[in-house]
Amino acid sequence: MHGRVKVRTTEEERERKKKEQVLKMRAYRAAMTRIQKKRSLSELDDEMLGLTVQILLRNPDINTLWNIRRECVLRKIAELEKTIKENETRDIQKVEEHSEGDKKTDDEKEVDKKEVLAQQLQSIYKTELELTEQCLMVNPKSYNSWHHRCWTLEQNPEADWQREVQLCNKYLKYDERNFHTWDYRRYVSEKASVPPEQELDFCTDKIKVNFSNYSSWHHRSLLLPTLYPNEQQDRPMSEHKLKEELEMVLTAAFTDPNDSSAWFYQRWLLGSGRQSEQSATVAAFRCWPYKAQLSLKSSYPELSQLTVQLVSEQQTLQLQPWKAVNSEKTQWQCEQVIEIEPSRDYFLDVAGQRKQLAVNPNDQSLYYFVPPHATSSCSKELLAELQTQLQSCLDLLEYEPDSKWTLLTSALLMRAIDVNSYHEQSLSHLAKLVQVDALRQGYYKDLSARWTMEMALAKWPTSSNYPQLFEMPTEMSMTPYAHYLIVADKISS
Amino acid sequence: MDFTTFVKPSNGGATESNDTSKLQFWKHVKYIENHGKQEDDYEYCMTEFLRMSGIFWGVTALDIMGQLDRLDRKSIIEFVKRCQCPSSGGFAPCEGHDPHMLYTLSAIQVLATYDALDEIDCDAVVRFVVGLQQPDGSFFGDKWGEVDNRFSFCAVATLTLLKRMEQTIDVEKAVKFVMSCCNQTDGGFGSKPGAESHAGLIYCCVGFLSLTQRLHLLDVDKLGWWLCERQLPSGGLNGRPEKLPDVCYSWWVLSSLTIMGRLHWISSEKLQQFILSCQDTETGGFSDRTGNMPDIFHTLFGIGGLSLLGHSGLKVINPTLCMPQYIIDRLGIQPQMVNQA
Repeated sequence: MHGRVKVRTTEEERERKKKEQVLKMRAYRAAMTRIQKKRSLSELDDEMLGLTVQILLRNPDINTLWNIRRECVLRKIAELEKTIKENETRDIQKVEEHSEGDKKTDDEKEVDKKEVLAQQLQSIYKTELELTEQCLMVNPKSYNSWHHRCWTLEQNPEADWQREVQLCNKYLKYDERNFHTWDYRRYVSEKASVPPEQELDFCTDKIKVNFSNYSSWHHRSLLLPTLYPNEQQDRPMSEHKLKEELEMVLTAAFTDPNDSSAWFYQRWLLGSGRQSEQSATVAAFRCWPYKAQLSLKSSYPELSQLTVQLVSEQQTLQLQPWKAVNSEKTQWQCEQVIEIEPSRDYFLDVAGQRKQLAVNPNDQSLYYFVPPHATSSCSKELLAELQTQLQSCLDLLEYEPDSKWTLLTSALLMRAIDVNSYHEQSLSHLAKLVQVDALRQGYYKDLSARWTMEMALAKWPTSSNYPQLFEMPTEMSMTPYAHYLIVADKISS
Repeated sequence: MDFTTFVKPSNGGATESNDTSKLQFWKHVKYIENHGKQEDDYEYCMTEFLRMSGIFWGVTALDIMGQLDRLDRKSIIEFVKRCQCPSSGGFAPCEGHDPHMLYTLSAIQVLATYDALDEIDCDAVVRFVVGLQQPDGSFFGDKWGEVDNRFSFCAVATLTLLKRMEQTIDVEKAVKFVMSCCNQTDGGFGSKPGAESHAGLIYCCVGFLSLTQRLHLLDVDKLGWWLCERQLPSGGLNGRPEKLPDVCYSWWVLSSLTIMGRLHWISSEKLQQFILSCQDTETGGFSDRTGNMPDIFHTLFGIGGLSLLGHSGLKVINPTLCMPQYIIDRLGIQPQMVNQA
């Protein structure tokens, strides 16, 4: 029901089309009636297969007809296997009956028979594969055809997976963005044990043919972290490979700066890589004699499952149970009587992470705070590459000052190089983006608020008011990182 | 079985101009009412394999427009009941076809809308859904083994509407499987692990996490950015980078952004213009893109999108379940939403 243009037709044409449709509909209804009748009688035979073909070639989305074909196929396989078994039993009997003399010729005959049966079995699978191929020509996005193909191959212990990889190559030439084909490719190349290096080469070739291929960039993003792992996990892949990828993607992006595919990939490269899902990193903590509050860098499903302890030289106190304060599950509270002796040294221990606590001079509460850090440190080589890239972007902006993707990417590069010194300039890019990409102004304003808040939080511990007072930066469209502020007594706006 | 028997005699509508800047309200009502009225309608006949979903689309669109009484409740419920498979407990799209997760959800949505869940064997439905969960937490669509996150969504949505999510499926494992499909590049989801992010599948997974109260697992800023980048200069949204805009993708993206509290990251005004431009001002109904043929599927997502954007004259729609909010309230269900930060 997609992409059908409404066209004006003459009365005559309409009549002709109508007649044609009436005939098609009659044929469809007759075939469906016959199919349902046969199915109720369990007649899963060749006629049934033929009837379903007629309809599926026109409309491969009718799931039930594929189900019926699978029933037919299973029936046929079962019958063949029965014949094979019967033959084997007969073989044993024959061997027992016959004398040594004529055994050889019988053996040969049996081998032939076995081969014939094996061929018959293969031809059942072949018919199904051919039908799905024909249906995919009609509708390359037919979920049912793709699934029937997978199902057929899974039934066949001798499936030729390599051939399927070749088929993907062919299909991706017709449509390089068909996600069904890419999904199928990942499935069959695993079955065919295609080495990931080879898949990466395939991706590179595809991207070289056409940079505007998000599907191919995506496939690439799955392969690289495994092929070139990053030990610290703070980047998506090893620094060496990352540098190469950055070079490649920028060339692609500059080829057509309005095409988004490469820019998305670029932003991923500049990001922090896979976040470890299980860790709960402490962002801020505060405890009073009657309760404790704990904020995490990112959400954690159930804090009570972790061991949270308040440790001093004299004693270790378990803090339990924890209740989430916000729906993001980043801020938690525990109501408990806590004896605090301000002269002692206290530590917070969350699942083995130990943080030294300070004393708030105002109310003698204990606290810990670390600002959200925006970027990871990088090697000299990578830094040099980022600087080169930034310069290229800034050069491009000289000629095309409104280039949206260049504005955004240069702001991201600045922050990857040095958040502090580029802070104002990166914000000015966002302000410009609010104008040139007005559809998404809400996004840029929120991002701007986020960066502003990150800076304010980073500077806060050096301010004379820390930790009692936090001065909210002006012109905030939202308040990100609010859970970091549990340490403050007062927040001024 | 066709829609003819469902339609009450029409009481006509006011005359409207052919202006696509305004909602052609009564033409859409007529379009849905008339859907399948002609018995020899070719399209209608050839789409019987998804009839149950077709009924859900029509019923929901009319309910959002406050015109549900134009269809005959009784005959629709009878039809739905006839489609429940006595052995598996799942629902077929129509008689003579096989039960499937997709049509099971549609059937339950239709019955929930009509407050008629007590008319069927709900335990059998639960058995059907539970029986399709796999050891890795994923769900088959039916016994033939296709795995897809669409079915994970259908499973939890069906069980939520039946209020049977507790102690039936393994929710933890189901969540784990869905999250194993989350892409590091863009925070989005595809149909299975490793699959490219796609707005339709993102809706399924965000909706799944909303129903299982696990939205904290999303990287809202990363995914929200990718989603708001779906908006094109026409105001319409596409489903993947460098693709054409489409009314149904507008719904998948819009509802996901709404659940994630990031609706303000796109231009509502421009999107509304795009959706309205996809109305067929002659026949009523919405098409995928301006100037194309309308169909019942895009008609629901056009109306639903306008409702989410707060268009006047339409009832509020729930972004997670794509059903009128009053029904969700009546059932006492609360799909999770992220507060706007």
